[in-house]
Amino acid sequence: MELGCTGKILVVDLTTGGIQTQTVADAVYENFLSGLGLGAWYLYHNIEPHADPLGPQNVLGFVAGFLTGSGSLFSGRWLVVGKSPLTGCWGEANAGGSFAPAIKQCGFDAIFFSGISPRPVYLFADGNRAELRDATDIWGLDAGATEARLDAMHPGRKRPRIACIGPAGERQSLIAGVVHDGGRLAARAGLGAVMGAKRLKALALAGSQRIKVAHRPEVLRLSRDVSAMVQHQPPFVSGKVAAYLGRLVRALPTQMETDGLIYKTILRKWGTVGMNQMSIEMGDAPVQNWRGTHHDFDLDTSSRLAPDVFTRPVVAKYFCYSCPLGCGALVEGAPGKPRTHRPEYETVMALGPLCMNADAESIFQMNEMLNQAGMDSISAGATIAFAMECYEHGLITRADTDGLALTWGNSAAMVALIDRMIRREGIGDLLADGSRMAARRIGAGSERFAIHAGGQELPMHDSRFDPGFALHYTVEPAPGRHTVGSLLYYEMFQLWRQIETLPDPSRFYLKRSKYDTDVEKARMAAACSQFVNLINAAGICLFGAFLGVHRLPVFQWLDAVGGRPRSPVDYLRIGVNIQTVRQAFNFRQGIDPLAVRVSDRALGRPPQSRGANEGRSVAVEKLVEEYFGQFDWDRHTGRPRDSDLKKIGL
Amino acid sequence: MAYTITDSCIGCGMCKLVCPVEAIEGQPRKDHRILAPRCIDCGACGRICPQEAVKDPSGHVCQRIRLRRRWPKPRISELACIGCTVCIQSCPTSCLGLTAPGGSVESVRQAMLVSPEACIGCGICATDCPVAAIEMVAPEPF
Ligand code: SF4
Ligand code: SF4
Repeated sequence: MELGCTGKILVVDLTTGGIQTQTVADAVYENFLSGLGLGAWYLYHNIEPHADPLGPQNVLGFVAGFLTGSGSLFSGRWLVVGKSPLTGCWGEANAGGSFAPAIKQCGFDAIFFSGISPRPVYLFADGNRAELRDATDIWGLDAGATEARLDAMHPGRKRPRIACIGPAGERQSLIAGVVHDGGRLAARAGLGAVMGAKRLKALALAGSQRIKVAHRPEVLRLSRDVSAMVQHQPPFVSGKVAAYLGRLVRALPTQMETDGLIYKTILRKWGTVGMNQMSIEMGDAPVQNWRGTHHDFDLDTSSRLAPDVFTRPVVAKYFCYSCPLGCGALVEGAPGKPRTHRPEYETVMALGPLCMNADAESIFQMNEMLNQAGMDSISAGATIAFAMECYEHGLITRADTDGLALTWGNSAAMVALIDRMIRREGIGDLLADGSRMAARRIGAGSERFAIHAGGQELPMHDSRFDPGFALHYTVEPAPGRHTVGSLLYYEMFQLWRQIETLPDPSRFYLKRSKYDTDVEKARMAAACSQFVNLINAAGICLFGAFLGVHRLPVFQWLDAVGGRPRSPVDYLRIGVNIQTVRQAFNFRQGIDPLAVRVSDRALGRPPQSRGANEGRSVAVEKLVEEYFGQFDWDRHTGRPRDSDLKKIGL
Repeated sequence: MAYTITDSCIGCGMCKLVCPVEAIEGQPRKDHRILAPRCIDCGACGRICPQEAVKDPSGHVCQRIRLRRRWPKPRISELACIGCTVCIQSCPTSCLGLTAPGGSVESVRQAMLVSPEACIGCGICATDCPVAAIEMVAPEPF
């Protein structure tokens, strides 16, 4: 593969220290594009059935997308892939910053690690060499300190870009992630623990290779249009107005199709925290470990977590590579401390209303602790909420917590608890592997307080509010992720504009129609999965995709970069292939997809008696078969057909 | 595509020193050679070679620019730059950075040439900028 990709992967055996560059056949790119697809293809072939996720057989991949480095915008996302120790399923985590181009500039589309190193190491590559080097001195350091040290150790002309684990990954916490650029995390699926188990502290990449593009002027022309559209910022409303908008959504029996431009405007102004109050008000953000409502965390309380509270200390916007939007921000650190990344919506909600905590200061502090330790803030917050409910019911007592009163909203106790989770001390050790594991350790029926899908703590989007999330939490090969699809996402992607066979939702609809379980819902969900697989293979950011395919020219970029035009339907075919190979991966690993379940509470079983989602429950099971059918898998078991696997070279 | 070295080479080694990606090999006072797969077409060797022994990918002999401070430098348009950081990551000598934080939620940090002495005038930043915010300009003679 000459265009868009490098055509090569780096394969590292940590046990022996052997490093190989391998050429990947064109057919692989044809079927899976690159990025997530390339990762899925490689892992399917190279992880033995029933592999121990923390053992030497697991393979950890760092993949960059097809469009990264091509002149397209929004194309700076990279993924970590592997078998998840948290769920036992296919695992992937996605992050931005500037690590994605760094992978390709070293001359690779992906870097894969197998085995376990006898001592701590890091990988250094610069396009001419790839070497494992001793990391004994940096083992134990926080993520920020690790990056600073590695940067100083490589004073070459090109500054290295670094991805690393912090202490949480080193201690194999099953909710650890991989950190980049001082606190951007590929957080989910516990892949930081895999890196820790492999004794791989970091990757430092300092290459300068160029990416070949078929029609560069066309790529740039498309990019300039996108940039102009994104820069245009309609004078928007204050944070308060957003909150009242949420209220309105809650009160009305009808809903309007959402245009991604609204999200763009909010994201550009506040970043993801722009949704803070609005989400609670409309019932999207779960409250008090998914049992509460906006009544329990009312507008007055949530005003302490208002978007403006998180934008006030901002010193500059933060842009990932090739992003015209810049949803991130750097904020003033605590006195005497360096600048930090602003907490994201997911973090604020997980450490805020989910735990009944309205102390913004504590959230800034915990966010930074988690970023430096390399621990997923969604899973950490959700696990604390679980612990709080256990504490309330006497399943954990003050004796177990070494004196911490884990009462709802006790922010001081939360800070102390996170510190212990990172260190794996006392109660922290029990909680450091997420809520499902903790429930197994505590027993006594505590499992009912662990809100997860297949072991992964659910994100801060209520499946009772948007049942589309419920389906994706359940059926995705990587369960419990909010970054794939929902009814809202389907509306924003606007795929039907370019693929006529896809359903065009009505502009206005009754809210209760969201809970109908018609085939159309499964078709919409399948389209989301396919499209998001495609953008993850291309390295495109989900927030860019929210603009809709009529505004973000993903297909046109792909045509112009690869020089082999395909129809949108054919591009989505790549998304189908990626879904199929990951599903097949799960079967090989002994996962029965029907056994992957979302906790009852998150499905409204029993339904809530008040609040935005009052009386709602989601019959997700009814849609699972239809969803499987959309991929031509066995409708009852979800198993991909052998003939289909053969067609895509598996 | 890659640059090549002709047999006018005297083996002074200047190109080897300036090359940002270690694409040039050769012993002192012996003919030097460019390893095509490594070459990123930055052209620095062509600008530095005292013998004008370097040809660009289309076969034209590169003109030496005797004083390095006269090599073209990026000029970044404040109006056009959107702060996407592409150029910063593309630069083979990491001589671009972001402007100081402006202290507001609206403040977009733009690209700037932070180490002009390290710039090799390759123009890769200008080629890669998705919104054409960079122009390569040769500094005025004095
Ligand atoms: S011309 Fe641009 S890319 Fe090349 S060295 Fe100078 S600043 Fe870096
Ligand atoms: S690539 Fe262009 S728009 Fe992006 S930061 Fe550099 S000069 Fe600015």
